[in-house]
Amino acid sequence: MRDALLLAGLLVAAYAGFGLLALSQPRNWERLGRPFRPARRAVLGLRAGGAALLGLSLLLAWLRDGPSFGILLWVVGLTLGALCTVASLTYIDQTRKRRGVSRS
Amino acid sequence: MGAGFRASMNWLHTWAGVVVGAVLFAIFWMGTLSVFDREIDRWMMPETRLAPVAEPASLDRIREVAQALAGDAPSLFISLPTERQPVLGIGFRKDGEFVSRNVDPATATLLPERGTLGGTGFIFPFHFSLNIKLWSIGYWLVGLAAMAMLALLVSGVIVHVKIFADFFTLRTDKKAPRVALDLHNVTGVLGLPFHFMITLSGLIIFVLVYFPNAWQGTFPDRAGYFKEAFGSYSRPKANQPGDPMSLDALSAEAVRLWGGGTPLYLRLWHTGDANAVVEFRRSYEDRVTMNTDTLYLDAATGAVLSRQTQQPIMTAQRFLSGLHFIQFRHWTLRWIYFALGLSGCVLIATGFLFWLESRRKRHEKQGLKGLGVVEGLTIGATTGIILATLSFFIANKLLPPGMAERQSYEAWAFYLLWAAGFAHGWIRRGQAWAEQSWAIAAAALCAPVLNALITGDHLARSLSKGQWAVAGMDLALLALAAIAALTARKLQRRPATTSRAMPGRAQGSTRGSTREGRQHA
Repeated sequence: MRDALLLAGLLVAAYAGFGLLALSQPRNWERLGRPFRPARRAVLGLRAGGAALLGLSLLLAWLRDGPSFGILLWVVGLTLGALCTVASLTYIDQTRKRRGVSRS
Repeated sequence: MGAGFRASMNWLHTWAGVVVGAVLFAIFWMGTLSVFDREIDRWMMPETRLAPVAEPASLDRIREVAQALAGDAPSLFISLPTERQPVLGIGFRKDGEFVSRNVDPATATLLPERGTLGGTGFIFPFHFSLNIKLWSIGYWLVGLAAMAMLALLVSGVIVHVKIFADFFTLRTDKKAPRVALDLHNVTGVLGLPFHFMITLSGLIIFVLVYFPNAWQGTFPDRAGYFKEAFGSYSRPKANQPGDPMSLDALSAEAVRLWGGGTPLYLRLWHTGDANAVVEFRRSYEDRVTMNTDTLYLDAATGAVLSRQTQQPIMTAQRFLSGLHFIQFRHWTLRWIYFALGLSGCVLIATGFLFWLESRRKRHEKQGLKGLGVVEGLTIGATTGIILATLSFFIANKLLPPGMAERQSYEAWAFYLLWAAGFAHGWIRRGQAWAEQSWAIAAAALCAPVLNALITGDHLARSLSKGQWAVAGMDLALLALAAIAALTARKLQRRPATTSRAMPGRAQGSTRGSTREGRQHA
């Protein structure tokens, strides 16, 4: 149970971390359908938060599997989290556009 | 960074990709499948679908079984069952050929031979040697492709103009070249750590082949290198009959000496002789590093003759090898490797697609023929090899057991279908994508049905009996069938602008559609 929770935690942290990094870019707000240009301080805050979550992901991977398996799991988990972030943005963008088309 | 440098890297990236892309896709596809090679073995060798046993038969009993088969063979090999491979393996040399058989660990009886190379005998060696044994050409082709892959990864990062701005960008509603490039960029950039690590470690595994100067300059011969790196040991025969100790007692001694570490396999040298030696190789399923811990015990007394503990340089090499081989017990990592291996396949395929789609209009206008050649090559290398793999699985189910040279026919089923995939791609060009996708869907649906009909292990049964390897393989095939059918349908619904156009191509000029597009063209 502990392992499953730590695994879920590290993957969610990687996903959320990349999510915050994505939100620090105005173009991704546009893709969410909410055009918004974060202020300089907000950009820094989002990026610091994103980096902290990616760090948390490493900590959870280390706690779960120790140094050698843990770091390996973290590296490949990061890619998985980032790919999920891309998939989410694309899905939201496409759904929004389809709805927009069907309404018009 | 000068524009000239970026342009030269762009040239390198484009042409290295086109030239080695087909081989790279084959290596990545087979490597991805090799992540589950032992599970594929279970699917292809129904007689080895055994429930794990808590107490395997005694090693002395296994030795008797092996010796009855091997006769006076000078050495015997015994591999122990693992979670992923629930059978014992025995092997020996007879008339110059290595013979191997599977043994039921519960009863110590020989299992019938299916006559298949399976995942570990065909798919896994294809990954690193393309199964071309002549003059080690296969190894060198794979090495060359791996070096090219490293150059492609580095040059890809250099030519990617907006690496951070486009970090999360995948726009599936754009024109075909843009979608292909977005997907290529996303899988390339986000998968970069994995792709770089897996390619570099693949090269490092074959350090002996690719960098022979490294050991030839230090050691007088290959044996000297193996002695130091892997602790290999031998002693001459006494030419007198010996009285060997119990193998189980020797195995217990090995476990004690390793402080609880268990053996992965053992070899018996000079069997029956007074100077017989038993070699134990330690299991590495609990760590990333594939240790080279080896113990040589005197078969008559149990005395330690040689004990290898890994040295620092070898530890580094074996750690990188372990990252690549994933022989450790970690199902999460295994599945993530599988997913990222598939992302590597997508990376290579979309590289090809971008090359094709960003040139199609211009080449058609200029009457150039090269596009057709690359398009056929891409189709054969991507959908073609998937179809060939499925025909390998289907042949495994349809060919009668016990047939002479059965494994060769299975391999032929693969190669013939692969060749047909290329031929079909060159003849049908654009239409071949959808047609091969339909063929993949049909074949991927057919394989689990045949498995159910011929072995009786349909999904409900394999799931209820906890045969995860068989169930997983059937489910993966069904998922592939669904994805291929959806892809084929989508491809056919897209409008084509010329009679031979790729169905997936959007209408309109691609010229100047993207900045990168202009660069790559």
